[in-house]
Amino acid sequence: MRKLLMTIASVLLFFTAAHAQSISVSGRVADESGNPIPSASIIARGSNNGVSSDAQGRFTISVSKGTVLVVSAVGYEDATVTVNDANVTIRLSAGARALTEVVVTGFGGTQIKKDVTGNIARVKGKDIEYLPTPTVDAALQGKAAGVFVNSQSGKLGQAVTVRIRGNSSISASSQPLYVVDGIPITTGDQSTYGGATNTLSDINPNDIESIEILKDASAGAIYGSRAANGVVLITTKRGKAGKTSVTVNLQSGFAESTKRVKMLNSEQYNELILEGAAYNDVQDGYDPADPDSWTTYVKDGILGYYSYDQWKDDPNKTYDWQDAVFQKGAYRQADLQIRGGTDRTKFFTSFQHLDQTGIIVGNNLVRTTGRLNIDQKASEWLDIGVSMSLARTYNRRLPDDNAFSNPLQAIALMPQTPFIDPTTGLDAGTPPGDPNIPLYYNPLLTVKYAKFAQEVFRTLGNAYAKAKLAPGLTLQTEFGLDYFSQNEEGYFQSQTIRNQTRATNGLGTNTGTFISNFNTNTFLNYAKVAGKHNINGTLGMQYQESTAKYNSTEGTDFPSNSYQKIASAATKSDGSSSQTDFRFLSYFLRGNYSFNDKYLFSASGRIDQSSRFGKNARSGFFPAVSGGWILTNENFLSDVKFLSFLKLRASYGIVGNAEIGNFPQLGLFSGDAGYAGTSGQRPSQLPNPDLQWETTKQFDVGVDFGFFNNRINGEIDYYEKKTDGLLLNVNVPATTGFTSITRNIGKLENKGFEFVLNTNNFTGQFKWTTNFNIARNIGKVNDIQGQIIEGGVSNMNRVAEGEAIGVFYTVEYAGVDPDNGDALFYKNVKGANDVIDRTTTNNYNEAQRIVAGDPNPDWIFGITNNFSYKGFDLSFMFSGVAGNQVNIYGMGRYSSANMLYEDNNTADQLARWQKPGDNTNIPQIRLYTINGSQASTRYIVDGSYVRLRTASIGYTFAPKILKTLRLEKLRIYGSAFNLLTFTDYPYWDPEVNADSFDSNIAKGNDFYTPPQPRTFLLGINVSF
Amino acid sequence: MKILKYKSARIIFLLTAIIIAGAACEKRLDIAPRQSIGSDAALLTESDVLATLIGSYDGIQSASAYGGDIMVLNELTGNAENIRFTGTFAGLNDAYNAAMASNNSFAASTWIASYNSINRVNNVLSALDKVTSSPDTKERVEGEALFLRASVYFELVRLFAKAPGDGDINTNPGVPMVLLPTSEISESDNVSRSTVKQVYDQVIADLIKAESLLPSSNSRYATQWTAAAMLSRIYLTLGDYPNARDAADRVISGSGKSLAADFNDLWFTYINNGGTTPGEYLFYVKITNQDGTNSLNTYFGRTIRSIPGTAGRSDAKIQNAHVNKYEVGDVRGEYFTISGGNRYTLKHLDRFGDVPIIRLAEMYLTRAEANQILGTSLGATPLADVNLIRDRAGLGALAAVTLDTIRKERELELAFEGHFLPEVKRLKKTASGLPWNSPLLIFPIPQRETDVNKNLVQNEGY
Repeated sequence: MRKLLMTIASVLLFFTAAHAQSISVSGRVADESGNPIPSASIIARGSNNGVSSDAQGRFTISVSKGTVLVVSAVGYEDATVTVNDANVTIRLSAGARALTEVVVTGFGGTQIKKDVTGNIARVKGKDIEYLPTPTVDAALQGKAAGVFVNSQSGKLGQAVTVRIRGNSSISASSQPLYVVDGIPITTGDQSTYGGATNTLSDINPNDIESIEILKDASAGAIYGSRAANGVVLITTKRGKAGKTSVTVNLQSGFAESTKRVKMLNSEQYNELILEGAAYNDVQDGYDPADPDSWTTYVKDGILGYYSYDQWKDDPNKTYDWQDAVFQKGAYRQADLQIRGGTDRTKFFTSFQHLDQTGIIVGNNLVRTTGRLNIDQKASEWLDIGVSMSLARTYNRRLPDDNAFSNPLQAIALMPQTPFIDPTTGLDAGTPPGDPNIPLYYNPLLTVKYAKFAQEVFRTLGNAYAKAKLAPGLTLQTEFGLDYFSQNEEGYFQSQTIRNQTRATNGLGTNTGTFISNFNTNTFLNYAKVAGKHNINGTLGMQYQESTAKYNSTEGTDFPSNSYQKIASAATKSDGSSSQTDFRFLSYFLRGNYSFNDKYLFSASGRIDQSSRFGKNARSGFFPAVSGGWILTNENFLSDVKFLSFLKLRASYGIVGNAEIGNFPQLGLFSGDAGYAGTSGQRPSQLPNPDLQWETTKQFDVGVDFGFFNNRINGEIDYYEKKTDGLLLNVNVPATTGFTSITRNIGKLENKGFEFVLNTNNFTGQFKWTTNFNIARNIGKVNDIQGQIIEGGVSNMNRVAEGEAIGVFYTVEYAGVDPDNGDALFYKNVKGANDVIDRTTTNNYNEAQRIVAGDPNPDWIFGITNNFSYKGFDLSFMFSGVAGNQVNIYGMGRYSSANMLYEDNNTADQLARWQKPGDNTNIPQIRLYTINGSQASTRYIVDGSYVRLRTASIGYTFAPKILKTLRLEKLRIYGSAFNLLTFTDYPYWDPEVNADSFDSNIAKGNDFYTPPQPRTFLLGINVSF
Repeated sequence: MKILKYKSARIIFLLTAIIIAGAACEKRLDIAPRQSIGSDAALLTESDVLATLIGSYDGIQSASAYGGDIMVLNELTGNAENIRFTGTFAGLNDAYNAAMASNNSFAASTWIASYNSINRVNNVLSALDKVTSSPDTKERVEGEALFLRASVYFELVRLFAKAPGDGDINTNPGVPMVLLPTSEISESDNVSRSTVKQVYDQVIADLIKAESLLPSSNSRYATQWTAAAMLSRIYLTLGDYPNARDAADRVISGSGKSLAADFNDLWFTYINNGGTTPGEYLFYVKITNQDGTNSLNTYFGRTIRSIPGTAGRSDAKIQNAHVNKYEVGDVRGEYFTISGGNRYTLKHLDRFGDVPIIRLAEMYLTRAEANQILGTSLGATPLADVNLIRDRAGLGALAAVTLDTIRKERELELAFEGHFLPEVKRLKKTASGLPWNSPLLIFPIPQRETDVNKNLVQNEGY
């Protein structure tokens, strides 16, 4: 008790003793080249006496002589200066910024990187500026350790797979939660045509100040049941006091496909298919000259028929259908940003117009965005502000990969088929010509005679008021709105009848999607520095309400193709409207404490309630704790000069995943079971009142280090994420009338490590910095109660206990029997004593399936190098994955299938078995008789790649020239995106995931999937 | 004063924030879906039951069930004799080649759609006490429900179990029988396969009851004649000729229906008749441009330029050998089109055409065959019945018939309507060189089912 009183007394004394002989100090904060640094913080060490610098970098502060001022500013290294005079100038060095950066932690919280005890990766807006990717998620590839980004396909505006520290769900979403300026935004696919779209397309990446990726439970727990897949906090740029600065950036360029696949020409095709027919004739005992023989059938019914009989005159004439569906893409983008303000009012406003033409015919994306962010100091104690962005995104879409109208499926068309039908002079297959030529539907007809356009209007708005209630105590309340309004309009002219069978007289569709997503956050923040104690805390609540409304109409029987609105449709053939809602109510608490800049401690928790959970499980609690120890602030390390920073940190916490869709817990009937014009209902879902979130317990331990005045700095982390109560669509016997029920069963884990290294290799006139990150994640499903969950192309992706999610499970291909050309498979049957039978068989059904690959990469990495010398700058970033496989069976079963069908085959099939003794991996050609093109490891290939994702070179004009031009900055640059790809992948692009099959389970499938574009740009950036 | 003003302003601000925060109370989390209703509120009234009965028709209308796949699978499996199948759906290709694997996607989807329909029917049957407006209505609802359930079980046992006559019907595993609706999942849902005999017994009992309950006319829904026709087909499958004959005769003499005058009137129901169903159809699934997919059209159809409204994948090409079976002048032998060098049946070109399941012609042929075997002439002589069919096909009358001529007439009349595999098994013929009782001609119990229900025994050979 006495000890306690003594402590209180000494604390009180400490506070009262603060005022000694004080003098007024005027100072100026500037960077290395003398430019003022506004908003720098100047604090008298050991007190809470502090001010910040104005737009000219100037400040005044009253301190006693001999006081040490600690000066810090975002993006600069801290500096200290001892007060001796009434005037000081402080130079901050921009080097080795990583540790002094301010990191956003959610709900008004910020922390200096060196004080952070959780794992938060920060990507600066500057690092993703002016990239030719319209979405921010794709731009993150290779930028942050442990963040896996797969762009899936080269179609514009399509969904991107993002996995933070592995895949922690089987049925629920595995995408992170995106929060823009405090609003959890609407994400996920909202399209009704083609593959999934990307709702992040409506955010202009150049508006972004920073992106914080909350990876561990300590950082994420404040987002509770929504943080298990990680949280991506996007903070947009805000105004700065000082001269209004106007920046214009213009860039323009072109794009092409990263690769073409080598296919057979007509001469090779003829040889192969006739070889197959000859085989069939021998088997069936036909004389090839017999009119009923296979050879005759192939010559007349296939080669003749599908070439409009031109084959007979010129059998080797080749039409490269692949070439016909690729085009040179175009990219044009204009950005305008205006930023400025006074001490009381600050604003940032931007405008962007982007016009992108895809590398596949018929694909086009146009985006126009505007933003206005205003912050107003309303009074001494009240700050108010708004952020508002408006976007229009127009996307002329491509069909999904598994559609005959997918342009890339033209690769399957016979090379003998002319592009133009000689009888009509129109594209092959256009009525009134024979609609059954080419072999399959000619996808170019959809490009020419159909259109499916998606137009999104998106408003993201946020208004806040922040009041200082007492010293150190602020109350902030904010109201956010994310309004997503989408119209999709399709018209299929009668020429597309072979593909759109209902387009006899035209088919029109029109779909509306309206999602309003309201969010309010109200929270108290408290911060206090008391001597060596530094405390801050957050307490608040969040409420989110999302309502999605959908409607659609469809019409057929149009007077002519000139009429394309449903108003002209004689038959309104379909129409629908629907709605779905979800709501979250949450309370959260967070406290950070540090002592003497050495010992750091943080605790947070959140209570989440949601309309998605069963009535027996409405509310969940998600706590986390973390701690850190800055060893370099200890005396025993103060002599180790080369070691400038060393921090150990550890965290543990519980977070959840609630992205299971709406109302999965209810037993339902649906009224969509009408028959022949009479309405009807059906049981549609089984109830589960116990249904709740998935729970992930995550442990993270890490080291942050800096050497040589932090010129070399980095992080090493090890983590273990254990997820249980997996929301699983559990298969039930279909004899019940249902195929699955949603239950919380199952466990999985992800373990891994991350390594980040930033180095300032050269700091003089020639500057060279390197940022490197690499991560290894090992995912494993521990328990799904013996279920087998399959997905993907031919159900080859599987979830099985003891394996990573979505491993490829198929028969092992054993090559070709040199004696007879039969495809062989390893039996792999487990016999007595678990001995596996490695003998081969030509009977596919005798072979057991095995785990034959994993679509999840073992390693993901990125390395960025920035060079500058005088006005020149050069930057290149490589990113890559290693150790994953891709399943190419989607196209392979038809086109790398030793000419099983009439589909054109890849040129590698020329190496087929022809006569006894041939040693090859390609079996004998047997037309229409399957020989080795069953699902097997023949079609599982290595998906590793290293890609020169971005490369840019620029020149910034010297101040002298700028002065005469009255400009602040002028930079011209050239950049390339996906310039080089190093891979053994046989088809187009290993960064692939077929949209028709995409799910958490079905990853790594290629199904005639368009490759990424390789884009070249020239640009100019002017500020005044 | 100024400080005070600030203070009160701050307090107002604080209160506002608290009100905003408090407005979001827990009650707001109680929201309900909009397109669906809770299952506890779904079967409370007569109209709920009637809506669920319509939902049951919607169930069997699934392309994976009577929407066509049941007939497609029965027609394609092992039928190299009549069809060259060049489609790219692996599940169908494997069925055609009689080389299915246990994960055959078509076997699985037909199984799933069938049992889904059965559960809908079971919901109807469980709530019959809500049908109180009239005893007739209640009888009709029960009759329709029993008819639908029995028909689907018959199709399942035909596809997934050994045929009657192949081994012991009393011990051969049939299919699992579920006769009550599912409201939750428990261990008891891992139902074992009933024997083939048990399934047929249930099916026959349900159909007899349905025939007695159903009215003689009932719009596009099941009537007593539909039930009798299905019974006739089932008795014929079991080789119970007297009952097959009697049931067929009841339909022919009682239903008041007659054969369409022109064979062509039976087809292109949407293109030619604007969706009017031919009177000859006893049991069919209605397809409209709004609802349903005719999957016989999907696989047997083809877009023929000269006939607007036709569509299809052109997967099932008709062999020369098939056409050679017809006599010269047979309208049915000309009921093909040559397109792109291949031959397609005209029966299934209409994209919105109704899917026929039982036609009156089948009843004449069943009665003729049964009469012939039994040496009777109930209703008419076998010769008269066969000549009726021949006459419609534009062929001259025969002077005498044998069992073989009756069966050939049946084969040609009902070609490509889903009778191939059942006839192979009934008449113990061969299919693509395989004997009628080959395990390869029996569909595998879907692998997803054996994975999830350990009580299910897989069929031989899978």
